[in-house]
Amino acid sequence: MISASGKVFIYSAVGFFTGLYLFYKGFTWLQQKKMIENTPTSKVRSIAMGRVEVYGAAVPDKGKVLQSPLSRKNCVYYRCIIEEYRHAGKSSRWVTLKDENDGIPFFLQDETGKVLVDPIGADIEIPKDAQYNSSFGRDPPKEVQFFLKTQNIAFEGLFGANKQMRFTEYYIAPQDKLYIMGTAMKNPAVKASAVGVENVMIAKGKNYPTYYISDRAEKDILKSLRWKVFGGIVGGAALSVVCLGIMLAYLGLF
Amino acid sequence: MALGIALVIGLIVLLFVIGFVVYFVSIYNSLIRLKNDIKKAWANIDVMLKQRTDELPKLIASVKGYMKHEKGTLEELTKARTAFLSATTMAAKAKADNVISGALKTLFAVAENYPNLKANENFIQLQGRISGLENELADRREFYNDSVNTYNIRIQSIPDVIFARMLGYVQEEMFKVTEAEKQDVKVEF
Repeated sequence: MISASGKVFIYSAVGFFTGLYLFYKGFTWLQQKKMIENTPTSKVRSIAMGRVEVYGAAVPDKGKVLQSPLSRKNCVYYRCIIEEYRHAGKSSRWVTLKDENDGIPFFLQDETGKVLVDPIGADIEIPKDAQYNSSFGRDPPKEVQFFLKTQNIAFEGLFGANKQMRFTEYYIAPQDKLYIMGTAMKNPAVKASAVGVENVMIAKGKNYPTYYISDRAEKDILKSLRWKVFGGIVGGAALSVVCLGIMLAYLGLF
Repeated sequence: MALGIALVIGLIVLLFVIGFVVYFVSIYNSLIRLKNDIKKAWANIDVMLKQRTDELPKLIASVKGYMKHEKGTLEELTKARTAFLSATTMAAKAKADNVISGALKTLFAVAENYPNLKANENFIQLQGRISGLENELADRREFYNDSVNTYNIRIQSIPDVIFARMLGYVQEEMFKVTEAEKQDVKVEF
């Protein structure tokens, strides 16, 4: 059994390392911010090979779409998270039962043309499009129940009472406006002799590992990155210093 | 007590030094990247200019049978093409590019006077291809100017200006359109 002050020491140690991690992440966000600020947006018809930044609407390739698993909406990318609220002793928390994502290549279209985008491997930042809950006396929607059945996940617990669960879904639907920073490269599925923008695709590059997709405008992305950089570097450093102070106080050195 | 204070101050100093060094390294690296991005943006224009220049002899061959009274325009185009091919500097290439763009604009406008030429499939194809290249060139010139603008602002801002001076970085010229190119082409019917 760990004493209360022992727990404070453990939490402080966790806070100390979390602060250092945030401090490090702050600089990676700073690098990302500079990269976005310094790269002009290209028109789709004239993108050159290498690192590119483009903005336009998502258009399915030959009408091919996926169906989002929870709300059954047409999309080119989705992520769904299923969580259950669990109690353990005095504490309780949300436990992730499933975190699944899938995507298919789609076109990004601006006023000058369209270019193929393979979303696999991208750091995709989109707001949640749907969230459902289940709890005592409250069933999840039929579509969610169907998906849970295919995944062998039960939303009912003891004596048929509903568990407290949360089902969250994110997706990129056709015509969603997207900001993409990635690498323009030859489309491996198109013959070398083919001409036109379809022989170029945007994907995760080897030389430029940054591959970012967001449905926000560039200035909104930069605004949130500014806060992340500040929070990461200053907040992370402050958290580490405070937690170190607490740990030293626990050890009687402060 | 003293050891505890020393450790906390030590951590603050360490984080400050790391933060300071990493921040300045990132400024240095991003300036280098910006400078190279300008070179790359220019190289991407150069590729398109070469493609357009390669199309010109075909265009001249397809129109000269029809446009016997437009010798001057065709000669201007040929001269500008030769000037572009012999140009070695960015400025000389940009100058030749401006002349070619102007001459092409005149040529396509004058072609309106020749119905037989306008109906020629080969000419229609070449016109489409060259117009497409012109549009892409316009986009890439805009991209180049955006890259130069970002770079010029950065090398004059604090604290980037310190590294820019150390590296001997000076402002880059933007791609400018000549006054002649801005004028509308007059076509007499």
